Amino acid sequence: MLNKIIVDEKEYSIDIDTETPLLWVLRDHLNLTGTKFGCGVGQCGACTVLLNEKAVRACQTPISEVGSNKVTTIETTIDKTVQNLQKFWVQEDVVQCGYCQSGQIMNAAGLLKTNPTPNDDEIIQAMDGNICRCGTYSKIKTAIKASTVEV
Amino acid sequence: MIRRDFLKTTSVVTSAFVLGFYLPTKSRASDTKSTKALQPNAFIEITSDNQINFIMGQVEMGQGTYTTLAMCIAEELNVDWEKINFKPATVNPIYNSYFGPLMITGGSSSIIGKQLEMRTIGAAVNKMLITAAAKRWKIRAYDIYTKDSKVFNKKTKESFTFGELSLDLTTMEIPKNPKVKDLKDCKFIGQPQPRHPKESWAKVTGKAEFGIDIRVDDMKYAAILHPQVFGAKIKSYDASKALEKNGVIKVKQIPTGIAVIAQYWWQAKEALSELEVVWDKGTFENISEKDLDDEYSNVMKTDGSSIRKDGDSQKAFKDTNKVIEAEYNFPFLAHAPMEPLSFLAHHEKDKATIWSSAQSQTLTLGVAIKVLGVKAENITYNTPYLGGAFGRRGTINADFVLDGLYVAKDESYPIMTLWTREDDIKMGNYRPKYKNKVKIALDTQGKISSFDAKIVSQSIFKGSPFEAFGYQNGVDGAQKEGLADHPYDINNHDMQAYTMNSPIPVLWWRSVGHTQSGPTVEGIVDEAAFAAGIDPIEYRINMLTDQRFINILEDVAKKSDWVNRKKETNVGYGVAIHESFGTICAQVAKVRVSQNDFKVEKVWASVDCGFAFNPQNVENQITGSINFGIAALKYSKITIQNGEAIQSNFYDYLVSRISDAPEVVVSIINSGEKIGGIGEPGVPPILAAVPNALFDATGKRYHSMPIKLRS
Repeated sequence: MLNKIIVDEKEYSIDIDTETPLLWVLRDHLNLTGTKFGCGVGQCGACTVLLNEKAVRACQTPISEVGSNKVTTIETTIDKTVQNLQKFWVQEDVVQCGYCQSGQIMNAAGLLKTNPTPNDDEIIQAMDGNICRCGTYSKIKTAIKASTVEV
Repeated sequence: MIRRDFLKTTSVVTSAFVLGFYLPTKSRASDTKSTKALQPNAFIEITSDNQINFIMGQVEMGQGTYTTLAMCIAEELNVDWEKINFKPATVNPIYNSYFGPLMITGGSSSIIGKQLEMRTIGAAVNKMLITAAAKRWKIRAYDIYTKDSKVFNKKTKESFTFGELSLDLTTMEIPKNPKVKDLKDCKFIGQPQPRHPKESWAKVTGKAEFGIDIRVDDMKYAAILHPQVFGAKIKSYDASKALEKNGVIKVKQIPTGIAVIAQYWWQAKEALSELEVVWDKGTFENISEKDLDDEYSNVMKTDGSSIRKDGDSQKAFKDTNKVIEAEYNFPFLAHAPMEPLSFLAHHEKDKATIWSSAQSQTLTLGVAIKVLGVKAENITYNTPYLGGAFGRRGTINADFVLDGLYVAKDESYPIMTLWTREDDIKMGNYRPKYKNKVKIALDTQGKISSFDAKIVSQSIFKGSPFEAFGYQNGVDGAQKEGLADHPYDINNHDMQAYTMNSPIPVLWWRSVGHTQSGPTVEGIVDEAAFAAGIDPIEYRINMLTDQRFINILEDVAKKSDWVNRKKETNVGYGVAIHESFGTICAQVAKVRVSQNDFKVEKVWASVDCGFAFNPQNVENQITGSINFGIAALKYSKITIQNGEAIQSNFYDYLVSRISDAPEVVVSIINSGEKIGGIGEPGVPPILAAVPNALFDATGKRYHSMPIKLRS
């Protein structure tokens, strides 16, 4: 059936089975491949996007649940929190393979939108669902902290 | 794995010559639109509008090779660093690796194998640009310099962009022996440099294209139903229900399973559950982990193939009154790179286009030629970014590559074959399971007088195209490395290997055989130190002869303030040192134990890779390797039950998370010795330093991974 969704301020109409996860709508229907597939079961965080400013796992969010809620992805051109994090991700030299970093940044953005000045424990707690096999964790923490100092 | 005997004989200077050779341009044809240029050539493209592109034969999978190799070129060719672009190379022998006649990225070999070549090429082009400008201005080369992708006249301050001179370069001779700066005189190489901003920004904005992200016109997607039991075959299948599902275009059998091709990948994946397959599960269905353990233990009762035999081990054991024995057990491990495995191919009768995130372009191309029946020159080969690899994409049996090729073969549209995470965890190509039994004798001073070992595992190399140099006299290279060549001054050895067989494919996993030899050697040496009543660092230094090892140990002792380490309840410190891929790395780990759990709180790492081309990347790789190792120490294992892997995704194949990550302090020693790699050498020491620290904290030795604390 026809679904309307709003992604990064743009509205799209997609004819699709309502159970299709948002992840695959973004990646394969809209070709917004910045949002990554990692596990398909909500265990790795690579597919994290914001749904009305709240971090969700796109692989666990059927398109039927998105409705008129605003989806923000790593490819946003206007979200200031995301853009600020991106800047600090580069500054702190976080990325190695880089594949998980879309999800890391979006998850961090979700954290900062509810808690703009998280302490170390709060960062670790919030980010523990996002796997990075390259092991860039300490730099992820540093980048998030640095971004909260200079918003 | 470093195999010096396999080093290609082509000299670096010869390689610089190829600079002006014109490559088959097919796959880069679209790049020629920007008018005439010094292009395509092998390593550096300069377009007339001053786009400077570095062509990378090595794949970028997170290890930072694009940045560091570019630094090597840029040390000599004075480009505007932030504006350079990276372009993956096509398949051509001029990009062959350090290991021999194939392009492959692995074995921590990129800098070892390519650094001098890149510097030489940079120097050659720089010299050519100066010569070209000298001709135009009719002045001496001495009065010209290059900076920020421009050539300047010292006196008049006039300048040309490199691009403005690019046409001149196409007709010039390439300097035969361009002078390359000594490493000690380098201004860029050797200084900490973050990941190149083009790569970094692409990756943080979601714009970087990984294999899974490639989108082309009319493409379809495929998911595959693979057998669960290793070695199982398809007897028959019924696809009628799957074919009724929304979006499903076609179902076809391929050698490894049944592929569903659909308009979108989710549709293909959902339709897999509608397939009805009758499997011939074969004999491995009756095998579980305990059977493998029994088999591995039993085989040790016989004589194995000799890894190392010298001195008189039997006599040493007869003469001693102190013997220490231990059995180390390391499980099968999946690599689990974050990007699931994928392959995109478009087969058009006598030609094809492929997008492959494999670590070896040459092997992938070879497989493509065979499967598709298309000539090499008619295959356009594309390499995207690799979303982690850790050896997995250097697949010897070409599993995901073959899947992608068989799916796309004879179809009229491009098809992206994408594995699920479950495919990735369950399809094998694991780090082999190892059972290592070691026995050492101590002399009256507490020094090790004999070192015996029995190493039992499947072979990575046997039966592969690399068998000739990776499997010799019944010994797998991965059983031997780091064990037979341990650094300690011990006179007697009897080390034996046993090759096991099963339908489970095994593969190199970040730092390969050193993942077993590191914790084995450094575990038993630590036990010896304790038995001798000597401080573990002092004990190691007493038995070492190579000054580089001693320096690194002394450095890590100093950085961690080892002698003043605080004795707290439930806190332990452990040390380990290991050489792999030409690099020596020592680590001190601080662990804290609480009930049945432990946390690695801090790690001090000292590393001697000869010369650190990019110290910042060295630090990042060592830190990443430590986190990679912690996953194996704490969580990861593949367990076989009724012929299949029990684990299937990140809820049961656990890896390290941010809460597991220790603070890491990296110290680099530029010894000026032979250059070593950096992607892997950080892994082996942590695999021993942590168990040794746990002993310090608990008084108990842990010989098996993942570690489960005993109460």
